[in-house]
Amino acid sequence: MVNETLNLPAGQAGLKNGIEILREDCLRPLQKWGRSTLIWIGFLLLVIGWGLYCYIHQLRNGLGVTAMRDYVSWGLYISTFVFFIGISHSGTLVSAILRISKQEWRRPITRSAELLTFVSLLFGGILPIIDLGRPDRLANIVIFGRVQSPLVWDVISICTYLVGSTTFLFLPMIPDMALCRDRLTVCDSRFKKFRKWLYTKMALGWKGTKSQWHTLELTMTTMTIVIIPVAVSVHTVVSYIFAMTLRPGWDSTVFGPYFVTGALYSGSAGVILGMAAFRKLYHLEKYITLKHFDLMGRIQLALTLIYAYLNLNEYWIPAYKMATAEGRLLTDLFYGSYSKAFWTCQFGTVMLPIIFLAIPKLRKPLMISITCIIIVAGAWVKRYLIVVPTLLHPFMPIQEVPESWSSYFPNYVEFSVTAACLAGIFLIITLFSKLFPMIAVWEVEDGLKIDYDKQAAIYLRTKREEEEAKILEDRLKTGSETIQQPA
Amino acid sequence: MTMKRIAFAITLTGLFYCIVIDQGHPQTQGKSESTIELSYYKKADMTKTAVAIVKVRRDSKFVPAKNAKVVFYVMHENVQRLLKSVNTNNKGKAVIVLQKDLPLEEDHSFSIVAKIENDSMYENAEEYIHYKDANLTLHLNPHDTDRIVTARVTEVGNDGKEIPVKGVELKFYVQRMFGIMPAIEANTISTDEKGEATLVYPKNIPGDSAGGLTVVAKIEDNEQFGNLENKAVTSWGTVLEAEKDPYPRSLWEPSAPLPLILSITLMFGGVWCSYFFIFFHLRKIKKGENILL
Repeated sequence: MVNETLNLPAGQAGLKNGIEILREDCLRPLQKWGRSTLIWIGFLLLVIGWGLYCYIHQLRNGLGVTAMRDYVSWGLYISTFVFFIGISHSGTLVSAILRISKQEWRRPITRSAELLTFVSLLFGGILPIIDLGRPDRLANIVIFGRVQSPLVWDVISICTYLVGSTTFLFLPMIPDMALCRDRLTVCDSRFKKFRKWLYTKMALGWKGTKSQWHTLELTMTTMTIVIIPVAVSVHTVVSYIFAMTLRPGWDSTVFGPYFVTGALYSGSAGVILGMAAFRKLYHLEKYITLKHFDLMGRIQLALTLIYAYLNLNEYWIPAYKMATAEGRLLTDLFYGSYSKAFWTCQFGTVMLPIIFLAIPKLRKPLMISITCIIIVAGAWVKRYLIVVPTLLHPFMPIQEVPESWSSYFPNYVEFSVTAACLAGIFLIITLFSKLFPMIAVWEVEDGLKIDYDKQAAIYLRTKREEEEAKILEDRLKTGSETIQQPA
Repeated sequence: MTMKRIAFAITLTGLFYCIVIDQGHPQTQGKSESTIELSYYKKADMTKTAVAIVKVRRDSKFVPAKNAKVVFYVMHENVQRLLKSVNTNNKGKAVIVLQKDLPLEEDHSFSIVAKIENDSMYENAEEYIHYKDANLTLHLNPHDTDRIVTARVTEVGNDGKEIPVKGVELKFYVQRMFGIMPAIEANTISTDEKGEATLVYPKNIPGDSAGGLTVVAKIEDNEQFGNLENKAVTSWGTVLEAEKDPYPRSLWEPSAPLPLILSITLMFGGVWCSYFFIFFHLRKIKKGENILL
């Protein structure tokens, strides 16, 4: 990588110094557990505890304690499941797609994207189990599952993606674990023994030999290629759960790409929020720069435009026909009880981001974060609007049920359990960021070295050109003298 | 005045009886009002059974009484002899098999009594049946192309000889896997002076793989003889050719189409193979082996 024979003034020393500063900056947050962190963790544990209590209450008394009834059997839990699976596309987008397209600027933000994928997928996978009245029968889907069922495909693809994204998160952590093993175990940090054990185990005996680097490169390339189709398959299959059910609003051929785009769109917004949060909290401004926000903003804009196009297709075609049951659903969405949520969602997640992200001056951390908060919240509401209104408008009305069952709004049990899942995501991210560097140190180091090589090459070329110019000048001078001599 | 006092006292006593004693009795005892339905069956294999169905009143409805002790007696020469006591099942049913040496009266009749006596949960109840022993026989020629079946009903006379019984309603059925099916729409035929009832079986009834068919003749709830049944196996059925593939692979049958299984296996198998490839190399990193160079 680095030309060892190169002797630039302050070049190598500058590079070494830069790498050292990078390592210190990335490892510093791991050594401090401030009071605010502990309070934050305590708060999250409280939310999780309350959610667990509500879930036990639900387990003991059945799903009747929720607001779900015969009409709406997939309420807030399944809406949130679809939303979390969508967010889990962040790692694929930022890490895999940008890695495969050799976008060098991706280096400081890949770790947070991969982590977001892992945790959102973990809790996304838990939510359908929570939605089961008898979770003890979960094994039946493996024992008696029918290969023809999209639910079985969903279980297979989510499990496959979870294993893949965990591996994809872990692989680039190996060299950093070795760094933590060598540095953090000697410093004064919390849980020293545990950390030493953890880093040693996770480093897999990494010594940075040439063969280990080659193996890591090979495995990461393989994983990068494999994880993209797996991620696409996951959200396509999630869309099949809806699209393969004969219900108004779901009977759509565009659902696969619509869900995948929606997932990438909300996932990239999640990554931008993560970038902004870690940049601010861990003082990583040197590494996560304004350029990153600008470039991610452009990606977000492109995804918003594609999402807007598919969104138009999703509603415009059935709205043109207004077929009976579909017409009733769309009337409810456009003018009825869900119209406020629907139009606010359309304006907030489609129109507003296009306007904000199209203006380069607004692609700054604060403004882009506000835009992304709107996008993420809107994406959640959108999933709710996909799931719930359709269930309330079946082709054949369910007979002999109380009038109150024909409307739905989640009750405290569902909100509490969902909040606990969200708190679980934040807790894992918080604990992860206190145990492992949130920036892939060795990847950024590589970036620095590549930058250094480029600068060195430019320096050498400039120097050589200067020397050649000087020689030419001298020759010209000498030549003119030589020419003059015969005259 | 005295008469008025007496009348008042009688009225008060009556009221007291109605309110406290009459209504209070079941409350104090905690027993439920029960009824018994008793039936008699003589099967094709000549086994005789008595079946008692016990029901109990709950919220103005009669529901099956579980675990009620039913005591069966046989009446012989005006004396009750204990047969057996059986507890009812979840459907309120108690069944006993009547032995061949069941004592019969001179006219070959018998009487069975079923009782609920001193049960802790149910009030006392009793039901009585009186039937004559009869025989139901089937005559048929399995190779008969006309498919005629003749059922004959006889009873045993005082001299021990069989006497044909006229005017008994018989029903003809075909045995199916989970029950019996009427052989024809109007399947009830009465016996003639010879005690015989004849039916021509339809030709298009599906049999088993060899065309085998079981014909069934029944006397149902006859006031003289109870329930009698007889069966005979014939080869009158149409040969049933078993479907070679009753559940072809498809999206809506138990087995999935092969292309679907193949596609899923190839897609996810490929991914998992890649994972195992990576895990294998991770092991090599741990061992520090030089695997690529």
